[in-house]
Amino acid sequence: MHLPMHHPGDDRPAQNQTSRFLLAWRDIVEGLRRYWMWVILAQQDIRLRYRGSILGPFWVTVSTAIMVAAMGVIYPRLLNVGTAEYVPYLAIGMVIWSFLSALMNDACQTFIGAAQIIQQVKIPLSTHAYRVVLRNLISFAHSLVVIPVVMIGFGVPARWDIILTLPALALLAVNGVWISVLLGMLSARFRDIPPIVGNALTVVFFITPVFWHVEALGPLQWIERLNPFYGMVDILRAPLIGVSPSLSSWAMVVGVTVFGSTATFALFARYRPRIVFWI
Amino acid sequence: MARLQLRDVSIDFPLYRGGSQSLKKALLGRAYPRLKNFSRESPERITIRALDGINLDIKTSDRIALIGENGAGKTTLLKVLAGIYEPTSGTIECEGAVSGLIGASVGLDPEATGYENIVLRGMFMNVHPKEMKARVAEIADFTELGLYLDMPVRTYSSGMMVRLSFAIATSIHPEILLLDEWLGAGDASFLQKAQKRMSEFVNRSSILVLASHSMQLLETWCNRGVLLHEGRIKAAGPLKEVIAAYREFVARD
Repeated sequence: MHLPMHHPGDDRPAQNQTSRFLLAWRDIVEGLRRYWMWVILAQQDIRLRYRGSILGPFWVTVSTAIMVAAMGVIYPRLLNVGTAEYVPYLAIGMVIWSFLSALMNDACQTFIGAAQIIQQVKIPLSTHAYRVVLRNLISFAHSLVVIPVVMIGFGVPARWDIILTLPALALLAVNGVWISVLLGMLSARFRDIPPIVGNALTVVFFITPVFWHVEALGPLQWIERLNPFYGMVDILRAPLIGVSPSLSSWAMVVGVTVFGSTATFALFARYRPRIVFWI
Repeated sequence: MARLQLRDVSIDFPLYRGGSQSLKKALLGRAYPRLKNFSRESPERITIRALDGINLDIKTSDRIALIGENGAGKTTLLKVLAGIYEPTSGTIECEGAVSGLIGASVGLDPEATGYENIVLRGMFMNVHPKEMKARVAEIADFTELGLYLDMPVRTYSSGMMVRLSFAIATSIHPEILLLDEWLGAGDASFLQKAQKRMSEFVNRSSILVLASHSMQLLETWCNRGVLLHEGRIKAAGPLKEVIAAYREFVARD
């Protein structure tokens, strides 16, 4: 069979700039409008992932709890800090970190995982990103039970600024959306990305103050100001362990949100029609 | 009024083979242009022009048969009409609700139960779950699957899957119906039942585009034909003429 072929180089964009951005924007808005679609898909994902398992999504909670219990015995001595102060810090940090790392690993599957749907039906591609974020938020909600337990158990005072967890969570969800679109696109195009992300997250876990305090860095503390993961963990953790919110963390996360969303939007506008060919 | 209009539509299909999906190779290619030149000599990424300059006007009450050999571009054209592939060049205008799903035997979630799949599939055809729940009884009844509908679809035989997906797909009535060859499996008694439902389904749509290799099937449902070859339209017009052209064309090859 003869196939008409031609070589790379004529990757000319099909539409002009404005309409490409308009189409991408429409995809994002249209996906939001059909929220019922990804709400059901995300619930279905959770239900199917744990079908037949007794603990279901609480398995994540249990594994976090065991890790915290084990580390809570060893690390206060290792790091020379008080157990009563360290355990809530560790527990809450770990819950937030598991959420962030699960989300980012999952983000790689945004489009690859939905290949069958994308190739069969026309629905906004953003739907798949919202679905990934929501299913991770649902998982996260199950592990939240750890937080009141340690807060009460270790007598962490609940102060007014606990309310800040809501905007913090909303901001993280917005970040989740662009990260899902970005990593989803990159992973669909380059199949090396998912393992790279997995490995990178392990490294990031050790260099981010999750199980150790940023103060331990002494004069080098400024380094963590450059770590967006520190900002993301900190804005959610601080109000829960009774620490005042840090302006620099909020500034960092807001900056990351603006920059990440803009850059991803530009990429999405450019490559959106090609995603279906990548998967 | 439903309408589909394609003007000079072309689709370039990038094919990724071997190393071209590897990030390392892409980066090396950038850092060492000679490597890239090398790879250009034996290109790892090629694009195939799957559709080339397609012009097509489809109006209400048209029943279009897509005819052509394997790889002629029938499914690609259906996917363009469905909006799944966006044209690399050219324009497509569409008025009316288009059925999203192209093949009926795909798209079921094997882990979900039959009932869950009814709601899921309906959702992908843009039917709100609430609306879909009202149709569940009718669909379940037609499939005759009974208690199996509470089991994961992966436990179904292929005939059972066809029953389910057929019943779901035909429970919704979009204006523009795009069908890739299906309605093949199923036992004799089901096939008879399916024919009846299928004719009702097709008759309610304003436009039908059906791709198939079965001339008998096409002659039953269609009145116009489009013959595709290597991504181009070779012949279009009344179905009888196009089928004759296709037979001649195949004989010549």
